[in-house]
Amino acid sequence: MYRMLSIDLSSGKIEERDISDIFKKFIGGSGVLTYLAAQELTKELDPFSERAPIYFALGPLNGYFPSMSKTVALFKSPLTGDLGESHAGGRMSLAMLSANVHVLRIVGKASQPVYLSIDGDRVAMIPCSSLWGRSALATERILREKEDHRKGKKSIVRIGPAGERLSPIACVTVDSSRHFGRLGLGAVMGSKNLKAIVISGSECPKIENKKAYQELYDRIFKELIESENTYKYRDLGTAANVVPLSKIMGLPTRNFSQGFFESAHTISGEYFADHLLAQQISCAHCPIGCIHMGVFRELFADPHMYKTLKTSYDHELIYSLGSNLSIAKAEELLKIIHFVERQGWDAISIGVVLAWATEAFQRGLITLEETAGLALNFGDAETYLKVLENIAIERNEFYKDLEKGVAYCAKKYGGEEFAICFNKNEAPGYMTGPDAFVGYAVGVRHSHLDCAGYSFDQKYLGRAEDVEKEVKAMYEEAVWRMITNSLVMCLFARGVYTPKTVLECLNVVGYNLDEQSLDRVAHTIHGMKYIIKEKLGFDFAKLNLPKKLLTVYTSRGKMNEDSFKKRVEFYSKLVEEDKELALRAV
Amino acid sequence: MAKKLTVKDRERCIGCYCCMFACTRVWYGALGIEKSAMRVKNYPGVEGAFSVRVCQACKQPECAAACPTGALRLAKRGFGVELVRELCTHCRKCVRACAANALQWDEQLQIPIACRHCGICVRYCPTNVLTMQEVV
Repeated sequence: MYRMLSIDLSSGKIEERDISDIFKKFIGGSGVLTYLAAQELTKELDPFSERAPIYFALGPLNGYFPSMSKTVALFKSPLTGDLGESHAGGRMSLAMLSANVHVLRIVGKASQPVYLSIDGDRVAMIPCSSLWGRSALATERILREKEDHRKGKKSIVRIGPAGERLSPIACVTVDSSRHFGRLGLGAVMGSKNLKAIVISGSECPKIENKKAYQELYDRIFKELIESENTYKYRDLGTAANVVPLSKIMGLPTRNFSQGFFESAHTISGEYFADHLLAQQISCAHCPIGCIHMGVFRELFADPHMYKTLKTSYDHELIYSLGSNLSIAKAEELLKIIHFVERQGWDAISIGVVLAWATEAFQRGLITLEETAGLALNFGDAETYLKVLENIAIERNEFYKDLEKGVAYCAKKYGGEEFAICFNKNEAPGYMTGPDAFVGYAVGVRHSHLDCAGYSFDQKYLGRAEDVEKEVKAMYEEAVWRMITNSLVMCLFARGVYTPKTVLECLNVVGYNLDEQSLDRVAHTIHGMKYIIKEKLGFDFAKLNLPKKLLTVYTSRGKMNEDSFKKRVEFYSKLVEEDKELALRAV
Repeated sequence: MAKKLTVKDRERCIGCYCCMFACTRVWYGALGIEKSAMRVKNYPGVEGAFSVRVCQACKQPECAAACPTGALRLAKRGFGVELVRELCTHCRKCVRACAANALQWDEQLQIPIACRHCGICVRYCPTNVLTMQEVV
């Protein structure tokens, strides 16, 4: 049985519901949540109102198979007003499974700061005013110690001060350095006075079909351990992309002015690994171990008083807080990342905001008056740390505005043409060409993860463009990812979990699906998402490239507005069929 | 001579828990980690550091000595323990007696989880933290 636990923080009411039928129909994770939230997410709904729901879900293979290790969150994004979806690793999916909670729904608003404690069947809202204001890192340390008496493996899901301040670019941090990063879930938790969720349990679901299951498990486990596709994520991690991207002019540099970063080699995956990598760690039940922990020792008083920062790094952070700000020293970059980690901002979004602010300052749209005397320069890590500090202490109106996202800032202060966002969501770290940008624009989450457009750009390097073929391929990838997101698998394992293997897994745990039926579910979920998005105001016809991106060189040369429009239009036509399918299915 | 499970290189642990999943899966036909006889534990304030706790394979087990009914006793192989489940009174004295805090407790069945020193966890460790060692 798949179980939904629904908690109203206003009334304290707790409800349980058997949602096995919905899992059967929509697989799990993202698919199930899209169906569940469809009626609740309306254009009028204020993302910070008591009625606004937060959903978390597992998929049917979490716990069963390795690297099925993520949890998905669905909500109304306070950043975009559109559908909010974000995925995180850590130990949350193991903890939810152990607590026998497949979907967790939270509505309402607590009258004072609380953390939600779920320990098997025991659910409690525990007042925690003394935790309010504490960093995402301190909150985890304190709660891990405070709840150490619990038997099961705990997952600690919390916000930093950014979420408390309702910054729409605030993230939610899970266990060690994993995040529901994008689209502002942290602010939604903050609006509910919900500082953290501590979840654990001691359920161990029984395995049916043991022999077939174990054989399949061993085959997948072996592939995950031995495959080149996954090993790269453990070796240098996603940071392996930094130098190759710069070489093809695909690494956003100085607010997307160019794709080549002259200091890429000093903030590369290789540099980090050789000089700053302390160790790799893993999410629960994933043998890949992609989380790269950087360690940085700093002298803080003469002659020999040192402090040590330990923080995780990845390609996206290296781009957004590194090359895009022209930070050339990996050690300085780690310091900035650490500050962002403590405050609990989405690292991509805050980096794009800083880059916009720098360009706006250099063009005279903002002055020393707004910045309280700080001159913003690309490459100046010390000043960027002061800027972040000023945002954190809410120094003045300008600094308060900065954490509202780049679209908000550009609308108020000007510079919309160089505010690098898509549907108000700050852009991820690839300027490889039309497929990357179109992917950000049309994707359900406006993320590089929707359809991996950047990888299609790389396939078409030096080749003539083929608009329809490229868009079709991106669309097909996006549709397949409806399944990976409903299984809530880690995308780093996607090379191992081919459609054929996924079907084997699903059928061994009791589904009865073939290629066609799986494909139909994928298209249906895809269609449901666009129906919700359009209800919330998303419109393919209104999608535009930030003007600046029409003037810069990408890996595939200069962008062309007509080609962008054509691609978007073609994508929207493909989505039409999915919407019809979705309307028939629900 | 028989072999026992030991921790060879704790610092290599990446905290993936595949070892505990394997023990729970293979011996109990269940998902998760809670039935596992060995534990990987992360502790507050130390990002990325894991404590790996396995049965010490004692030849004179203090957990067995503390058992009032003889339910938990020295295993026939001469080290470590085995459980005669019918005799267990669920008193938890065994768990408290293990100074290394290495004997685990099954919360659902309220019985100790005796490690079989079978080595299944070793097979699923991707970074070779664990090993099987000759008992001397």
